[in-house]
Amino acid sequence: MATNGNGDISQDSVEEKPKSRKPKDTKFKQQKLPAWQPILTANTVLPALFAIGIAFIPLGVALLVTSNNIKELVYDYTHCNSSTTSGTCAEFFQNTSQTGETCTCVVTLTLDEDFTGSVYMYYGLTNFYQNHRRYVRSRDDNQLHGDVISYSDLNDDCDPYKTVSDNGTTMGIAPCGAIANSLFNDTFALVYQGSPNEAVGLLNTGIAWVSDKNVKFGNPSDWQKSTYTKPPNWKIPVWNLSLTEESNNGYKNEDLIVWMRTSALPTFRKLYRRINHNGTTFSNGLPKGDYQVTISYHYPVTAFEGTKSIILTTTSWLGGKNPFLGIAYLVVGSLCIVLGVVFLVIHLKWGKRHQETELELFKAPQYEVDPLVQVVTLHDRAM
Amino acid sequence: MAEGQDKTDLSVRVPDNERSGTSVDRLDLAASATTAPPAISPSLNTATSVTAVNLGQVESARTRSGLIHADDNSLRPVATHVVPNVSHPVDAIPLIEEEMILPNPLVKYEYRPMEDGQGSEAPEPHHQSQQVIYINAPERNHSEINITCTSKYNFLTFLPKFLFEQFRKYANIFFLFISLIQQIPNVSPTGRYTTAFPLLLILMVSALKEIIEDFKRHRADDEINNRKAHVHRGDKWVTVKWVDVVAGDLVKICNGGFFPADLILLSSSEPQAMCYVETSNLDGETNLKLRQGHRVTKDLLRGEELASLRGMVECEAPNRHLYEFVGNIHLEGQSAVPLGPNQLLLRGAMLRNTGWVFGIVVYTGLHTKLMLNSTSTPLKRSNVEKLTNTQILLLFVLLVVLSLVCAVANSVWSGRHAHNDWYLFFDVEAESNFGLTLLTFIILYNNLIPISLQVTLEVVKFIQAIFINWDLDMYYAPTDTAAMARTSNLNEELGQIEYIFSDKTGTLTQNIMDFRKCSIAGICYGNNEESKDAFNDPTMMYNLHSQHVTADTIREFMVLLAVCHTVVPEIHHDTGEIVYLSSSPDEAALVQAARQLGFVFTTRTPETVEIEVFGKKEVYEILNVIEFSSDRKRMSVVVRCPDGKIKLYVKGADSVVYERLEETQLYSDITLQHLEEFASLGLRTLCIAKVDIPEDVYEEWKHTYYKASTSIHDREKKIEEAAELIERNLVLLGATAIEDKLQDGVPETILKLSMADIKLWVLTGDKQETAINIGYSCQLLTQNMELIILNERSLDETREALVKRKADFGDALGKVNDVGLIIDGEALRHALSCDCRKDFLDIALSCKSVICCRVSPLQKAEIVDLVKNAQKAITLAIGDGANDVGMIQAAHVGVGISGLEGLQAAHSSDYAIGQFRFLQKLLLVHGAWSYSRLSKLILYSFYKNICLYVIEFWFQIVNGFSGQILFERWSISLYNVIFTVAPPLAMGLFDRFCSAETMMKNPALYKDSQKGRLFNVKVFWVWIGNSIIHSILLFWMPMLMLTQDVAFSSGLVGDYLFLGNFVYTYVVVTVCLKAGLETNAWTWLTHLAIWGSIVSWFLFLVVYSNVYPLVRLSPEMVGMDRYMLGCWLFWLGLLLIPSACLLRDFSWKVFKGTYFKSTRQRVQEVELAKKESVINGSPRKKSSSKNHGLDKPSQSKQRCSGSGLPRSECNMHAYTEPPRLHGTSHSHSSHVHKGCNHAPSPEIPHGYAFSQEEFGAVPQAEYIRAYDTNKDKPEGL
Repeated sequence: MATNGNGDISQDSVEEKPKSRKPKDTKFKQQKLPAWQPILTANTVLPALFAIGIAFIPLGVALLVTSNNIKELVYDYTHCNSSTTSGTCAEFFQNTSQTGETCTCVVTLTLDEDFTGSVYMYYGLTNFYQNHRRYVRSRDDNQLHGDVISYSDLNDDCDPYKTVSDNGTTMGIAPCGAIANSLFNDTFALVYQGSPNEAVGLLNTGIAWVSDKNVKFGNPSDWQKSTYTKPPNWKIPVWNLSLTEESNNGYKNEDLIVWMRTSALPTFRKLYRRINHNGTTFSNGLPKGDYQVTISYHYPVTAFEGTKSIILTTTSWLGGKNPFLGIAYLVVGSLCIVLGVVFLVIHLKWGKRHQETELELFKAPQYEVDPLVQVVTLHDRAM
Repeated sequence: MAEGQDKTDLSVRVPDNERSGTSVDRLDLAASATTAPPAISPSLNTATSVTAVNLGQVESARTRSGLIHADDNSLRPVATHVVPNVSHPVDAIPLIEEEMILPNPLVKYEYRPMEDGQGSEAPEPHHQSQQVIYINAPERNHSEINITCTSKYNFLTFLPKFLFEQFRKYANIFFLFISLIQQIPNVSPTGRYTTAFPLLLILMVSALKEIIEDFKRHRADDEINNRKAHVHRGDKWVTVKWVDVVAGDLVKICNGGFFPADLILLSSSEPQAMCYVETSNLDGETNLKLRQGHRVTKDLLRGEELASLRGMVECEAPNRHLYEFVGNIHLEGQSAVPLGPNQLLLRGAMLRNTGWVFGIVVYTGLHTKLMLNSTSTPLKRSNVEKLTNTQILLLFVLLVVLSLVCAVANSVWSGRHAHNDWYLFFDVEAESNFGLTLLTFIILYNNLIPISLQVTLEVVKFIQAIFINWDLDMYYAPTDTAAMARTSNLNEELGQIEYIFSDKTGTLTQNIMDFRKCSIAGICYGNNEESKDAFNDPTMMYNLHSQHVTADTIREFMVLLAVCHTVVPEIHHDTGEIVYLSSSPDEAALVQAARQLGFVFTTRTPETVEIEVFGKKEVYEILNVIEFSSDRKRMSVVVRCPDGKIKLYVKGADSVVYERLEETQLYSDITLQHLEEFASLGLRTLCIAKVDIPEDVYEEWKHTYYKASTSIHDREKKIEEAAELIERNLVLLGATAIEDKLQDGVPETILKLSMADIKLWVLTGDKQETAINIGYSCQLLTQNMELIILNERSLDETREALVKRKADFGDALGKVNDVGLIIDGEALRHALSCDCRKDFLDIALSCKSVICCRVSPLQKAEIVDLVKNAQKAITLAIGDGANDVGMIQAAHVGVGISGLEGLQAAHSSDYAIGQFRFLQKLLLVHGAWSYSRLSKLILYSFYKNICLYVIEFWFQIVNGFSGQILFERWSISLYNVIFTVAPPLAMGLFDRFCSAETMMKNPALYKDSQKGRLFNVKVFWVWIGNSIIHSILLFWMPMLMLTQDVAFSSGLVGDYLFLGNFVYTYVVVTVCLKAGLETNAWTWLTHLAIWGSIVSWFLFLVVYSNVYPLVRLSPEMVGMDRYMLGCWLFWLGLLLIPSACLLRDFSWKVFKGTYFKSTRQRVQEVELAKKESVINGSPRKKSSSKNHGLDKPSQSKQRCSGSGLPRSECNMHAYTEPPRLHGTSHSHSSHVHKGCNHAPSPEIPHGYAFSQEEFGAVPQAEYIRAYDTNKDKPEGL
């Protein structure tokens, strides 16, 4: 019945101790993983700095040259003189405030030199906040994707361009939202003033991202024409955007797609047309000379102090004309060289002195000589 | 004033020996006086007055002491009943009331310094709240479940508790708030769930961490709760788990066992139901304490007797006073008898030197005094965390300001554009609400405060803690203990420690006494080399046996060691080995040493001591034992030798022994030199002397002594006077030196820590002599150091002394001087009172070393608090016992020594290590690493978030402050969760600027973290500034790059997100490279983290751009991969922009690395140079072998080697300055003369220290009379 305490307890404790709690001796657990320990001092980084400098400067020059070779013409037609009414088209819209009306401008662009290679035609807007939050989100991507949805299911962000009520009947807007509603609707026709005058072929496809056209935008199987209507500012419904080419109609209309990609800055340009270089005259680009542009002026910009322009430009592998990158490369490259020189001076002047004092720290160890120091001293002597 | 008068009166009445006695005595008396009715106490110096005072004390303090309770009931102190049947040839046991005013030395703890002069607390009405426990009838008792519960959660409480904990953090509330306002339509610029999702993820990680940690706690609790206890249930012994022990249970505890609950001691294997308990866990005292069961229960030695035991125990309601207990035991058929603290065995204490005890469980579980004393572990936050939180608040302010600015700008912009920008339909929809706009911006900028920081920190700290647990260098094989980080909150705090408060016993020392050296007849014996056997010197044996001139003295010396003590031998049944039981580890060591040298103490009977001298039995009759007390500083026995001669053997402090020597002494000078040498090694010394007493002198003295010891009042004094009569004309035999064995590597650790500018204070419950001794042996005190000893007994004296000291310091005040401060618990009590506090602190901080002795657990905590608050320094407390719990919890970081049985301290600590020396690695490596890693991690986390989110602000400038985001919503949500989560983790876990070995060898490296150089407000805002510069470059450069929109040779243009993704990619790359730049050591995991993060973004980009329309997510990303990656501008920018951003950081780092090289950089370089040059020269290792304990530093250490010949040159020719203890413990306000190189005088004790319980439950003299080791002990079955 009784247990002899002493023996039992000690036995118990032996049994209860299953295994050693000794930690394992692995490099990871002992925090001794081999490591690369770069030491950044003037002499070690000098080569790197000079290398970067030497690489960046020529690159910058090349980029600058590339950018400068791009031909670009920008024509601000905001205040163009109307050929149909008196005064400028801007005034016409301001005075009459009839958004539906058309005003036509005819302007002449002069190319001082040949625009060789592919030439692209853009429209540019300024002070137009396509990146404003309430604007950016005012769209329904499902609708644009071509889903058949009832208008009540449209994205609420489309308000106030989600639905319209007309005589008590509510209709959805296709495409809904402020972006679509404010679709840029000026049109341009370009005629080369040569001998003879020749209209420049403008391609309205291939101006949008392929992925947008193929994936993001699509036409619904059913336009639900009884419950949907055009955006207030539009003249024609979306399903009539391009009656000639079915592949460019509806939500797949590239002008719409381009516009729907909202810009990052309030000053932006969007691709309007590609120049058709398949003809004979323009196969090498646009020859220098005068070009007459007939503008159907619909889009009011003066209200918000914006401007509109036509841009003709060639491109390089870098895209459009922009010297910034080249300059930035030059600056950074030069900085590297300058720093390299500074460090070189520092290294030559002070590098040695610091090496000598490096060992001060290890002097007079109170009770134990740091083997490190000994090694270093030995090492130094050997040298 | 009545109170003041009481004090004076009492001090007249108090016997001389008491006046100079321990603080405790006087304290108690003073306290009782303050509560005594003034009408009774003023009369002087008569027996009646004593009684009156006693009664006053009884009246007022009835509830405080069981002793008094006993007196109250029976008018006979418990102690008088101890051994009524044993005959006492000479020492009759005096049955006098005066005993009663001998206070329990432990009562001191109840005096809280804060209540200075107020005496004890108000009496509690115990009679109303007493508890009755029925013996052997557990079902009748109400018992608190005997469970230890340190875990935080269980299945049901987990979720609510966890959520409550989490949402107490500001950051989480903030993010919850953000998640909620994101649900308001049209407010969030980033969608509805982009904050909720990461928050959920982060909470899940936290929950996982909590579960793992709590699981560990559950297991630790189970380990304790499932310990086995032997309980008598029904009529047999059963083994039950601790958790099943209930009040009223009869339990049996065997030697070395812990008490599972608070018990009433019934009987034991020892005579008179005595037993020894080790309470170092509870109060830190080295010596064992005697407890004795009541006489009515002492004969319950068998299980059957227990089974038939009926009755009940009445006891006071559970309270937290460790040294108080009041109760009664009613056994069936007997009248009630009182119980006091002498019968109480506390949970947390351990049974020692006693075969077994029987006890009745009275308090269990939370009602045990131990538990009542343990406060819940306070939630500690590290300095870095606090600083981070402050910065978070500042950032929050910044966020609100930024949002306000944007919201205002939005209103202004809208006001200007509303009527013109027809495409923005302001005319159709109402102008936006300012409040909502503000919310929009708050959501937009919310991640200026890194959402992932909290969880990254937690994860990193958690793993850092695991690294600590994994550290092989902190594994202590003998106890199979690995280091254990019990919390992970404080890892970085370990890198900032400025003050360490250390316990002595069990922390610095092993609590093992070893006989190391001795000086006999002017010859010093003792080995230097480390050896298992503490003392080993063949010379002595040779001298003893070879008829050397000192042979007789050696013999006498050894006999004295074997005879003059209060040790009781126990012969182990199985092995026949003798085990010595002693309350004093010093005495045990001496007897042990004597045995090893052939003088074996074998048997004790009430009147005799038997020893075997090289196998030959000799019987010494013990005529008298004059006990040790800290006033006498010596103990002596009068023996009748086998040849019939009467001799007095004395051992004691050199100061008291030398005073009593005969005029002409052969060896006194040389012995003194030896004593000095021993002391300088930190050994505890005792002088050994004898005197032959003629029969007639003894006969005469015997009567004097008998009278003295039976006198009604002033007995102590009279005994002392009587002792003086015989303890004179002594013949010095020599001296012993005992090593209070330090733990391995303690002096080195202390030195290393001091090189790291960490100040170490020793706070010990042990005696002043012992503490000073340890101070020397662990190099805390050095011989050249001045000592300031404060032993003042009253507030006024203390104040005066402090002011004087302070003046002595003069200009040196505030700087660290080569001065050691030793302060006694009593003086400390006054010094910590409000008006002295500042002076004390000033002095203490001006001293290199501070040792506080005889301090209560509460005082320990108070000192820590004082330094913590006044000095604004980060403190660490290290200890091993329950008495250290207070300071462990009070300090910023608490470290417990674990491994041995008592785990109280370890359980309340933040880190538990096996040995004091592991503190080196814990602080110098893990602490410094954790600090620098976490600093970097925190700074970097802010950096990366600000870098990204300030870009949103730049974007607002060009989008009319509309709140539009530049990036795709889920990309930014994942920024903190995927793309930039790994580099900070790698930084926090694997970065190191030099190896652990180098860190250990150059403690100076610790100063970087200690002084908080890597993370402070300045550094923080420099990083913030840097991140803002980066954000400017990262936004405006791509923007300018894409300013004309045409990004392809095909003429196509991008959109806002096209720019956004450019910027985002550059941010991810820059931020990851910045992490690389800040990383000192790239392990393969670091490479993985940095390059992997960059790759992960690209992978994500490719995948994410192709999920639409399959998954209706993010149509705006469609085609991004193809067009971005196919864009030359993007790649050129990728090359340029991150390098442009980092060029500044890079050059600055290089510049600093070359020109303002910091210590750590130099060390790092030297370390790398070493790696390279290993081939060139093999490093010689010099004196880096581990030195244990004592032969560490002294210039005199080689001198006393066992080379064989009598050596008078065994002295101190190179001894520059002796350790000067100015003033003994008697002196008030001792004075220090710097540079005073006077010859050592006998008044100064040299390393004297002795641990012995004083005024215990049973006087030592009586105790040994109770033993007859020829008789078998009961088995207790």
